[in-house]
Amino acid sequence: MNAFSRYLRIWLASARYSLVRTMMFRGDLFIWASVELLWISVNVLMIAVVYSHTSTIAGWTEYQMLLLVGTSMLIQRFLMGFFWSGIFEMGRNVRSGAFDFVLAQPGDPLFMASTRKLELDGLLNSVVAAGLVVYSARKLGLHPGPAVLALYACMVACGVVIHYSALVMAMSLSFWITSSQGVEGSYFTLMEFSRLPRQAFKGLASAIFVWALPVVIVSNAPARAVLHGFEPSWAVGLCAATLAWFALAVMMFRGGLRRYTSASS
Amino acid sequence: MLKYRHAFVVGLQSNLVYRWNFAVRSLFSLFHLAFVFIFWGAIYSGRAAIGGFGFAQTLTYFVVLFLLQFFIGAFNEDYLISEDVRNGLINQFLLKPINYFAYRLSVFAAARVVSGALGLVAILVALPFFRGYLTLPHDGWRIALGIPAMGLTALIQFSIAYCFGMLAFWFLEIQGFVILSMAVETVLGGQFFPLDLLPPAVFHAVSYLPFYYQAYFPTAIMTGRIGLDVALPGLAIQAIWAFVMVCLAEAVWRRGLRHHTAAGG
Repeated sequence: MNAFSRYLRIWLASARYSLVRTMMFRGDLFIWASVELLWISVNVLMIAVVYSHTSTIAGWTEYQMLLLVGTSMLIQRFLMGFFWSGIFEMGRNVRSGAFDFVLAQPGDPLFMASTRKLELDGLLNSVVAAGLVVYSARKLGLHPGPAVLALYACMVACGVVIHYSALVMAMSLSFWITSSQGVEGSYFTLMEFSRLPRQAFKGLASAIFVWALPVVIVSNAPARAVLHGFEPSWAVGLCAATLAWFALAVMMFRGGLRRYTSASS
Repeated sequence: MLKYRHAFVVGLQSNLVYRWNFAVRSLFSLFHLAFVFIFWGAIYSGRAAIGGFGFAQTLTYFVVLFLLQFFIGAFNEDYLISEDVRNGLINQFLLKPINYFAYRLSVFAAARVVSGALGLVAILVALPFFRGYLTLPHDGWRIALGIPAMGLTALIQFSIAYCFGMLAFWFLEIQGFVILSMAVETVLGGQFFPLDLLPPAVFHAVSYLPFYYQAYFPTAIMTGRIGLDVALPGLAIQAIWAFVMVCLAEAVWRRGLRHHTAAGG
């Protein structure tokens, strides 16, 4: 408990610093919030265009698909808001040797590296993504109760942990390769699959993207919770994937850290 | 020309240093192709054609688009140029008989040779999975018009990236602008969905924008989505846009230099 409160204090200090810094550059906040909003709009536009040519995709209607995409966006916005900047900078800092400053800080290096900055624009747009989920649910005539909403929130939290783990793994590659520039794109590529319904995956694709990589269940599980209520197999699968991927990310980060030899490593 | 040839060779060498980055990116890009295959496969499930094109034609469109992006797409040129401006590295070009646009274009060409080769390797790896679905038209005119269209696309993409890089003369941080523009370019360039799936009036309007010529146009020529009657006037419009973009890049450079202060000795 003592360690928890210490880390909470460190995180609050970082969050306070980030907020003050964001308020100093309000124009920047506006631009980045617009960027995030535009990407959400782009995804919604894509659904609108595709569904103007078809009524269902893998058995999912337009608003069911919108709910799935909204959930995927919500998880990604939380990741962007809470962790993106810190982890993204990690790759560059490893190359330049500035990662020394993280190692010198009073806490676990992974925690210190990934919670250094809070991005208000990502958190602001999580409201837009949540709005998309609510809008889709209303269009579908769904009225989820408190239990389902709590389940949805827990599953979204699990999704954030999985996304976080995938990003940490991608950026940890910077300990091995010369530069991590552009490697973050691999995370985005992989997470594209979270916008697809589980039923779209068949055969080998199902084995890889549903069972081996948790990129499909990460968004499908919470979306299905709203659409169909509690489904034990999805809940257990998501929890197991969360634990496994977080453990893998920590292992990979620590393995990389052992290779780190300060500047130009 | 000799000095730009040297810049090309040096660019080639420095990009080969980052070959693992490109390799990781091209490897993960295979996931994007898998996403396209699964997503569009689900959309086409039970349908022979959408928007007048079959699944094989649409898949071929995305595979060719994927390869073209590796050969002619501007990846991080805007960032590299902005770093040159921000760090004062452009000062050295002001004192030498070197055109900065031509120098950067040479380095861009070198980078695309490396990334294109790795993209090609990625396609060859994926080919056994996709071969049965690919269908390329055999009209000779498509090659004759497609190659200059690709060259002009590269010039447009590079010029836009160059202009965004130049924003560093006025702004401390340009990544927000870059990603904002990327969202627009991705949609209106036809990277999310073939633009011909848009409502006809919108598609017609979009065909006059530069984004249309950034990816969709050469890909549509090569994959048979547009006929000669559209390709010929399109090539003329594309040439105009390329000229406008190069002029704009030169104008932004000149205006930016007025703001520039070269300090130090």
